[in-house]
Amino acid sequence: MLEALNVSKDFGANRALDKVTLRVKPGEIYCLLGANGAGKTTLINLFLDFIEPTSGEVRINGRKVADDPLSTKRDIAYIPEQVMLYGVLSGIENLKYFAALATGERHSREQLLALLTEAGLPEAAADGRVSTYSKGMRQKVGIAIALAKNAKALLLDEPTSGLDPKAASEFSQLLAKARDRGVAVLTTTHDLFHAKQTGTRIGIMKQGRLVADLSSQDLSHTDLETLYLQHMAA
Amino acid sequence: MKARTFWLVFAHEARVLIADRTLPLVLTLFALLIGYAITNGIVEIRARDAAVASILTKQNERNARNIDQLQRINAGIETPAPFSNAADPANVGGGLGGRFAYVPTSALAPMAFGQSDMIPNYYQVTYRSRVNFMYDSEIENPWNLLSGRFDVAFVIVYLLPLFIFAMSYNLLSAEREQGTLRMLLSQPLTLTKLVLAKVSIRAGTILTCAILIPVAALLIFRPETRDAVSLVQLAAWAVLVCAYGLFWFAVAVIANAFSRSSAANALVLVGSWVVLVLIVPVLLNLAVSVASPAPSRTELATQTRLITVDGLRRYQKLFSADYRYSDKPDLLLPKDGRFEVQSRPKAAFMLQRDVEADIQKLLDRFDAQLEGQQSLVDRWGVISPAIIVHEGLAALAGNGSQRYLHFQRQVATFHATWKQFFEPRILESRAMTEADFAAMPTWKWQEETLRRQLSDLSVRAIQILALVLVVAGIGFWRLKKSSAV
Ligand SMILES: Nc1ncnc2c1ncn2[C@@H]1O[C@H](COP(=O)(O)OP(=O)(O)OP(=O)(O)O)[C@@H](O)[C@H]1O
Ligand SMILES: [Mg+2]
Repeated sequence: MLEALNVSKDFGANRALDKVTLRVKPGEIYCLLGANGAGKTTLINLFLDFIEPTSGEVRINGRKVADDPLSTKRDIAYIPEQVMLYGVLSGIENLKYFAALATGERHSREQLLALLTEAGLPEAAADGRVSTYSKGMRQKVGIAIALAKNAKALLLDEPTSGLDPKAASEFSQLLAKARDRGVAVLTTTHDLFHAKQTGTRIGIMKQGRLVADLSSQDLSHTDLETLYLQHMAA
Repeated sequence: MKARTFWLVFAHEARVLIADRTLPLVLTLFALLIGYAITNGIVEIRARDAAVASILTKQNERNARNIDQLQRINAGIETPAPFSNAADPANVGGGLGGRFAYVPTSALAPMAFGQSDMIPNYYQVTYRSRVNFMYDSEIENPWNLLSGRFDVAFVIVYLLPLFIFAMSYNLLSAEREQGTLRMLLSQPLTLTKLVLAKVSIRAGTILTCAILIPVAALLIFRPETRDAVSLVQLAAWAVLVCAYGLFWFAVAVIANAFSRSSAANALVLVGSWVVLVLIVPVLLNLAVSVASPAPSRTELATQTRLITVDGLRRYQKLFSADYRYSDKPDLLLPKDGRFEVQSRPKAAFMLQRDVEADIQKLLDRFDAQLEGQQSLVDRWGVISPAIIVHEGLAALAGNGSQRYLHFQRQVATFHATWKQFFEPRILESRAMTEADFAAMPTWKWQEETLRRQLSDLSVRAIQILALVLVVAGIGFWRLKKSSAV
């Protein structure tokens, strides 16, 4: 379970988050929408302990992130907008390293290949140097790393950016599977359609504030679009 | 689990550093340089050992010749030439029998021989005043003498920091710049452990190179280094090199903890090197020579000349007397244990004796000044790790200023003993006997005690390690506060 309780974050005079309260329960996919600079990435960074909240608190499975970030990090997997890897190593070598860091365990080549395949990276590409990968291919390695961790919560910052439509839809299926396993998923996106498609809950952020927090079932696609544009215009 | 994370990062770093060729490139280049430096040192010290050995051989040959000649003179089968007469104490106490006082090269000498290049490692001791053989070369503030030759100490003190920078200027900034830091820190891994592991692989490889190559070369090609004392010295040497290397790694950590760009880091690091390795020693030199100015050599030369002229005047009669050898060749032969030393050599002896006595005050001032400068360097050298370590490495190699001063003091003592031995013989015209040749003072070098060396060294090691702790402390404290984004 991911919880942000009345969280604010200031960067100097700039208030990036303003008293945001949000919960993502196990088995939920929470899609966070909002304009550029609305504060979505900032919120995710708080869960990762990359930054500390100015006020309020951030909890993962009931534990405050600030108290023991090492242990809360064991429970979450993270895919950034740009998965960045070691260019001089192959995809599978990168996966091996991060998977070992994530789990403290060694994975066999077969296990690693299976993870890459599940993430949608063709086996033939696994041994190529990452410096020769496209953005989407790197993204898939990032997905494989998250899969390897088998975490209780997923933090995804525009994870499908750079993925081709087929890969994006396969990724949605992976998310659905995770949801069914009881994983709590917090994902940001600019894709309203995708949000409605995969999300169980939808939040809309504007200038650091969470201005809407809805159940996906209660909305149609057009409802969501209208609502979003209304909020943006307000 | 904890240890595992460390080793994971460690092994991963090794893989990346090999794949991007940093490690092979840096290590090969460094190995070549330090390999060349130690080869240089071994060759140089061999040549120096050979030079001393050949001087000693010549000295022994001449001594044997003198004894031989004395036996023939006493047997009445040889009439010696006037100025190479083994029966004449003035001859033997002067150039004919003068002994060489020398510093043997230390076992670790090839590690740092730059300084000894400019300081004589032997003198011929006769009854001549020390001012005429020890103080006739330019002796400067010791730290000045330390630079200049391509020896291992130079590679360690001057070049090693640059290699350390090449490996670690972007230790953390690269991960930040390429975005992998976010990926790493989203895993259960602290920035501190990440940096520790990254420093470990780099420090481990380059310091192994820096220590193993010269030490192995010495153990193989310089058997003197295989005894217990030398092994202790080698260990101390390794500690000093490690501490120095760690200091520069700590500086790299600080740079990475405070700044975010690799380019800025590189600039800051090279700047710190220029300041600590190049500028501070020069400034310290300047400060030392202002605070405790080197005694004037011109003054010494002038004084010596004045005293000499004075003496010449005092002994004018003796100096102007004839040798009388041409009309009385019998004077070249000892008779009943007596050898009539002619007035000129007698006067020469007394002149040198008087010069020595009169100039003593000035020489003492010279020595005091030199020691004063040295202790200033010792005290203030702490402001630059380069000075601490270079002085330490030179000391371990037996080419440090302390051992040099130690040598000078021993030469002074030996010189005094030598003159004491000859003074009554010359002034009372006693002929040299075979027993005299056996009883003549011989040079015996008294090595500095290992304990003294080690206590000096542990002070240096502690100074460096304290610097490491302070610098690394600041670096890691700052790391704790810096974020991944
Ligand atoms: N490290 C930082 N230092 C200073 N300001 C920051 C920092 N990170 C974010 N901000 C500011 O916080 C605000 C929110 O940024 P954030 O990255 O969270 O937006 P976002 O919703 O993720 O935008 P996008 O859709 O473009 O990814 C912006 O005004 C941004 O300038
Ligand atoms: Mg963002």
